Amino acid sequence: MSDHTQDAATIDLLFRLADDELMMGHRNAEWTGVGPVLEEDIAFSSMAQDELGHAFAYYTVLHEHLGQDNPDTLAFRREAADFRNARLTALPRSDWAAAVMRQFLYDAAEQVRLEHYSSHPFAPLAQLARKFRGEEKYHLMHGKSWVMRLGSATEDSRARLQAALEALWPHALGLFEPGQGGEDAGASEAALCAGWLAQVCPLLVSSSLQVPAERTAKGQWQSRVAAVYGRYAEPAPERVALLDAMQKVYRLDPNADW
Amino acid sequence: MTLMNPLVRPVITDDDGRSEDEKLVTFEARVAAGEKIEPTDWMPDRYRQQLIRMVQNHGNSEIVGALPEREWIPHAPTFKRKLALTAKVQDEVGHAQLLYRVVETLGKPREVIIEELLNGTAKYSNVFNYPPETWADVGIIAWLIDAAAIIRQMLLREGSYGPYSRALKRICYEESFHLKHGHDICVTLATGTQFQRDMLQDALNRWWNPIVGFFGPPDRASVHTDELMRWRVKLKTNDAIRQQFFDQYVPRIWELGLSIPDPELRKDDESGRWLYTEPDWEEFKRVIKGHGPCNAERIAVRRLAHEEGEWVRRALAAAANDQAVPVQ
Amino acid sequence: MDSDTQWVTWEVLHQEKRGDPHVHVGSVHAPNAEMALILAKEQFARRQKCVNLWVVPTVAIVSMPYDDADIFEAGTDKSYREAWGYKVRERVRAARELDRLDPKEDDAGE
Repeated sequence: MSDHTQDAATIDLLFRLADDELMMGHRNAEWTGVGPVLEEDIAFSSMAQDELGHAFAYYTVLHEHLGQDNPDTLAFRREAADFRNARLTALPRSDWAAAVMRQFLYDAAEQVRLEHYSSHPFAPLAQLARKFRGEEKYHLMHGKSWVMRLGSATEDSRARLQAALEALWPHALGLFEPGQGGEDAGASEAALCAGWLAQVCPLLVSSSLQVPAERTAKGQWQSRVAAVYGRYAEPAPERVALLDAMQKVYRLDPNADW
Repeated sequence: MTLMNPLVRPVITDDDGRSEDEKLVTFEARVAAGEKIEPTDWMPDRYRQQLIRMVQNHGNSEIVGALPEREWIPHAPTFKRKLALTAKVQDEVGHAQLLYRVVETLGKPREVIIEELLNGTAKYSNVFNYPPETWADVGIIAWLIDAAAIIRQMLLREGSYGPYSRALKRICYEESFHLKHGHDICVTLATGTQFQRDMLQDALNRWWNPIVGFFGPPDRASVHTDELMRWRVKLKTNDAIRQQFFDQYVPRIWELGLSIPDPELRKDDESGRWLYTEPDWEEFKRVIKGHGPCNAERIAVRRLAHEEGEWVRRALAAAANDQAVPVQ
Repeated sequence: MDSDTQWVTWEVLHQEKRGDPHVHVGSVHAPNAEMALILAKEQFARRQKCVNLWVVPTVAIVSMPYDDADIFEAGTDKSYREAWGYKVRERVRAARELDRLDPKEDDAGE
């Protein structure tokens, strides 16, 4: 593969990573001030800030190593059609069961990804993957704890979590949509997805939830439901709505300092 | 020996045969010596009630104060602003958590405190009943309202109740970031385009009166006020704190090229005091009683959050009885 | 080890003066809370100034594993949430030198 196509694949990958983190950070930050209990309000807000921080770091790599615009321009000025986030990350905030489930499914995927990327041939990415490890570990710890507790607490909480799981599952699979910039040199999306299923399915099962997946004869987990892809499609309405809100002030005067 | 648990709620069982008057003498001597009162100490009932009212009001102001600003988190125009605003609102929730714990050491549980906020029987700072209309409002609120709050809280930190003082140490530290973040937004707008400068001036015009009113009406001379001062629950009069705010912040507002919308505002050279137009205290009272532009909306948002979180708190309270499942 | 004669342990927290936080200073073996307080007084406050002690059953303490210490490390720059992360006075000074501000009323100074 030539350097040029390698760059295109890396740029595409970094945009996917950055845009996912940005959207997750944005949606999760919407919980700040209205969480279900004060202590959790604080914890969830910190994770939103971590995600925004990770997005900023990925955009910085795009800017400094791959010739893209600066992070604020990439986040606040880019058109919806140019974003590469999976649909899962931009879905509007709904109830706490969905918030917790999305966070768990997403951060489990992050952990599997970062584990692979910590030895990625593109050094700046490998470096970030190692730097984010501690924060992602906490996110996953938090997500697992909530899923397990709510899954086994009351019939009501289990039912809400189950509904959230079913609604989010196809979108979560969409996190592993193959990149259009060419296959990444670090890890294939299919391999990451398999790693993710192996991580989340047993925990969901032990949390008294019905997983839309089954074990194959080889002992691997396989989803019974198809993924919803949306990274490269016509921008989904939730992405457009999110960007309208996020870019509102910046676009009052994109040439001003804010 | 009387065993006490100061963290759950104060257990006041020190029936040591002393009369109330004798206990009051010890209490007042301790406060006069600059010592702190701790939850397990005997304290006059009026002291306890006043502190509950005040700290509860403070905690409520943090949790309600988070609401107008959080509306702007989705719209913050750069990474740094988005992160800082989220962190500021998060801090305010954190302050409510700390302050409600202080109230609990005085005997009122958090669920009751929240219930009183939602049913309208508890108060919070009036200033949060006004709407934040533009991004510049976010700067003005974080800079000037937090500045006003810091001046008041630095004083209260020297007050006599140990748990409140301890909480305020941390709160003041965090608020100093809020103020810088707000000031930074204002400096950016003040040195920006004409559109941005106008936006900032407009925000100041709308917020100035609520900010001057933030410190409350002039204290009436009363035995009650004297007592609160003696017990170090109140450290300075509302007017004295307002003057201190003018002293520190009017010059900093002016230096950004902003006009303060009060033609009477100036420092009187002879008395060294700031002259200003008194806010409409009748309006202030109307807003306190629940008739401000945003009272209903603020409480409605808070109530919705509380109700939507109800099943979560209930489920985990049930799960708390079953800690057998280990995490990971 | 004879579990019939071994007393349980209590963690001891010490307050040097009113208004200070209680700080963990060690632990004692004691048969109950009252004895724990009485014994902790001489083991942990016989020299150090002290106005109050707390004791907590050691079994009530739950700890994070040190293997997870990396969760406390910031993955990115968090200076946005610190007062020292802002250089506002410097910005105002610089703007004034460049005449980008139009101060009202008297000169504000620094």
